Amino acid sequence: MPIILVLDDSATMVMSLSHILKGAGYEVETGMNGREGITKLTDGVKPSVILTDLNMPELDGIGFIKEARKIASTRFTPIIVLTTESGGRKRDEARAAGASGWLTKPAEPSQLLAVVKQLCPSK
Amino acid sequence: MPLEIDPGARNPAPEANERLVCAILAEQVAALRDRMDATATFDLLWRTTALLSWLSGLLNDLSRHSAHTNPVLERERAEAIDEIAEIRRGLDELAFSQAQKQDFARQIADCVVIALERMAVAEMPPGTHFSSLDLADLYVSEQQRDLHAAVVSRLNGNAGAQVMK
Repeated sequence: MPIILVLDDSATMVMSLSHILKGAGYEVETGMNGREGITKLTDGVKPSVILTDLNMPELDGIGFIKEARKIASTRFTPIIVLTTESGGRKRDEARAAGASGWLTKPAEPSQLLAVVKQLCPSK
Repeated sequence: MPLEIDPGARNPAPEANERLVCAILAEQVAALRDRMDATATFDLLWRTTALLSWLSGLLNDLSRHSAHTNPVLERERAEAIDEIAEIRRGLDELAFSQAQKQDFARQIADCVVIALERMAVAEMPPGTHFSSLDLADLYVSEQQRDLHAAVVSRLNGNAGAQVMK
């Protein structure tokens, strides 16, 4: 079963995303900031897709993407930024850090699942 | 001899007052932000959708294992399953949309708390320790930046009008 790693500092968002992804048949790993995400990856979690917020404490989304790209197992893993930010500057920053895609909140569950399915065709 | 009160003791310096007000407001907005937590509501919504899925599966299983098929009951079963699927989809969308709205409101409140906390402790002369640009650095969305630009533009327009008078 493909694993999706979800990173968001909002407990409600983490629960909400987990519910939708599990309902669609994915296994979900979660973290409340970028640091927890990196710990998951170094502990051996191998996600098929990573969904991350941008504004998080300790290590933000951009910092997480940069560090995740340095880890061999996630060098090419699709990373989707799911954020309230829709500005071009932030988007460019995320792309430069190694983000694969961008989804602006508020998003529909169907939009989220379509993006994940597109990047995770093996399911 | 009449009691003499130092005017400074009666009326603390305006700057100190502002810092105190900022500190109090920061605490109050932080409390408001923490009250925005609706995890229990979302949990109930998701449990409801999970229950609906289970009921839908149960209806299918009952029909499959029933020895006698009744066309009327079969039609009603199919209609009920369609209705359950639609309600479930609606609840999922509602929960996801509400979760995102709540998260956005929480982030805006966070921005206000951080701004007020910084204004409350700054060690610089009043009026110079926190600018609108410092505030803009805390924003998490274009919506906030647009609002900021609209307020700055409106105030600049008003200031211009006052100067002209």
